[in-house]
Amino acid sequence: MTGAGDVAQRPEPPPTGGPATRIGTGRAIAHHGELVQGVFEDDNGRLHRALVTLPLARLQSEATFTRTNAAAVRVRPQHRTKAAEAARLTLAHLGFPGAGGALSIASAIPVGHGYGSSTADVVASIRATAAAYDVKLRASSVSRIAVAAEGASDAIAYEDQAVLFAQREGIVVEELGGALPALLVVGFKANGGQPIDTLRLTPARYSSEEIQLFRVLRGLASRAVRLQDPYLLGRAATISAQISQHHLPKQHFNIALDIANRNGACGVQVAHSGSLIGIILDLSEKGAHQKATAIAEAASDIGFKDVEIHRVNEEAGR
Amino acid sequence: MSGHVDYFRALETPRLARLSHNLVAAAFPLMKLMPARYILDRAEACGELKAGAHIVETTSGTFGMALALLAAARGYLLTLVTASSLIDATYKARLERIGATVIAIDDPRGDGNQPGRLDCLQTILMSDPECFWTRQYDSPRNWLAYARLAEFLVRAMGKVDCLVGCIGTGGSLCGTGTFLRTLFPDLKIVAVDTHRSILFGQPAGKRMLRGLGNSVLPANVRHDLIDEIHWVGAYPAYMAAHQLLRLHGLFQGPTSGAAALVAQWVAKTYPDAQVAVIMPDEGHRHADTVYNDQWLAALPGWPCEQPSVPTTLSRIMPATESEWTRFSWQRRSLDDVLATQSLR
Repeated sequence: MTGAGDVAQRPEPPPTGGPATRIGTGRAIAHHGELVQGVFEDDNGRLHRALVTLPLARLQSEATFTRTNAAAVRVRPQHRTKAAEAARLTLAHLGFPGAGGALSIASAIPVGHGYGSSTADVVASIRATAAAYDVKLRASSVSRIAVAAEGASDAIAYEDQAVLFAQREGIVVEELGGALPALLVVGFKANGGQPIDTLRLTPARYSSEEIQLFRVLRGLASRAVRLQDPYLLGRAATISAQISQHHLPKQHFNIALDIANRNGACGVQVAHSGSLIGIILDLSEKGAHQKATAIAEAASDIGFKDVEIHRVNEEAGR
Repeated sequence: MSGHVDYFRALETPRLARLSHNLVAAAFPLMKLMPARYILDRAEACGELKAGAHIVETTSGTFGMALALLAAARGYLLTLVTASSLIDATYKARLERIGATVIAIDDPRGDGNQPGRLDCLQTILMSDPECFWTRQYDSPRNWLAYARLAEFLVRAMGKVDCLVGCIGTGGSLCGTGTFLRTLFPDLKIVAVDTHRSILFGQPAGKRMLRGLGNSVLPANVRHDLIDEIHWVGAYPAYMAAHQLLRLHGLFQGPTSGAAALVAQWVAKTYPDAQVAVIMPDEGHRHADTVYNDQWLAALPGWPCEQPSVPTTLSRIMPATESEWTRFSWQRRSLDDVLATQSLR
């Protein structure tokens, strides 16, 4: 996996003591499920499972990696074994296989609902480990290591850049052409707020018609990002969510869709392997916050759990 | 999307032309490559089509040309079954030069002899168990292939309000329309047919305009998707093709002319709607006919006055080759529409 081009800056060999950086920190953001998820064709006609992540910068995981002279990576909390594996793979990627360290993770991201807590821990750990060697890895390298560590990952290493990301291969199938438009997302949990064990989910088997429809959704998502059009993006998300209903149904999804339609929202997105539902609004639209409040109230009244309003890609200082 | 070497994918990709502020044409060199390639790709992936196998289809049109090119490039045997009345010697020779076997069966009634063609095709299928029939009339893969066109239009236009296209097998218009309407439920779909085609309830008869319409009803024609149906005669279609060349520099076949004629009227009638029109093939095959003044001059009644608006019908009936008619279909089934027609 190590190639000269993957590392932005050549690391120094591990010091035997002395004042060089020995502690690195790394952060990674959560997400609110996906805008689109399905199966997509690459330029060679090969099909890939891939997704477009809806990033959620407010919730983060923070990792600290301290280089030690031990022969192993230790992690706290102890059960974050994938994060530890990610640190080991990062050390190997940097050219120090078997180097030791102490990894600690502090995360504010709830587990099991589709916020991507596991990937956030893994990505934060990769970044922290690299930082301990004064290296800033590219998003493509971070993603590949993350997939190697946890089998399937999401695109949060790309932060606000919209990419169609093959979650089991760690590669970008298509760069959608920039950052997502600024959105308001009214998020809540379906199915009584019960968490889902994502590791036990079997991947959806899509029909030919669904695979062909994903092709069109991809075009729509690309257009929406390129022209910063939240309504086209919301439309793509809604159809992807409707397809997801055939594979991992969420209770009362149609009620959420009805709330979105009645309040003039852009669309509805879901965590395709979680319980999250999000109603998407155009943050730049006048009255968007009033709409969000009305939607949040309607969602609470109907019995959806943990209703929250998130800002996505809001410009700083606004 | 880019930088990848794939000749047939490039050749099946339309070029987009803006014909007016709210009208975009998808002008294909050879549209039928899109379903032909998808059908072969899926059949190969599913093991239905084995290396070096024999492909058969009944066609006299551009689907046969698309299959011939793909069969040549991929090493398949190809037999195309057509009727003597439907194929000219030049086109037959061109298909044979590519390597296809063309069987032109007798057609004493002059209606295309579809039953005779299907009998011939069945005989070939029975004689070779490895033989693969592409079934453009009723295979769902025909219409599924047009997700590529829907994606292409969405990337270029975003929201599409109205889709106009010719209907023959139903694959291109119903396929593209199905996917676009999933995205945009209010999408208006306008079908373009020709007089004496049976697809939308006219009695069968001799059709002068080839390449659209049909004398049999393919399963891929989905009437309940269609908002409005237009029947364009051969002459307005030819003149519209000439205008595409003169006014826009687009050298397309006469079915593209028919589609453009209807689409330009739709775009004028709904100036706030974004209209897309599908133009299936280029004009080269028609150089000696539609684009030849001597050939045109020998046509009875040519030239005629080009109708600028269609005649709206309340009762479905055929018209002359110089006429253009329309009927409000309203997403009904064929049976439902025919039932209302017989009440009158």
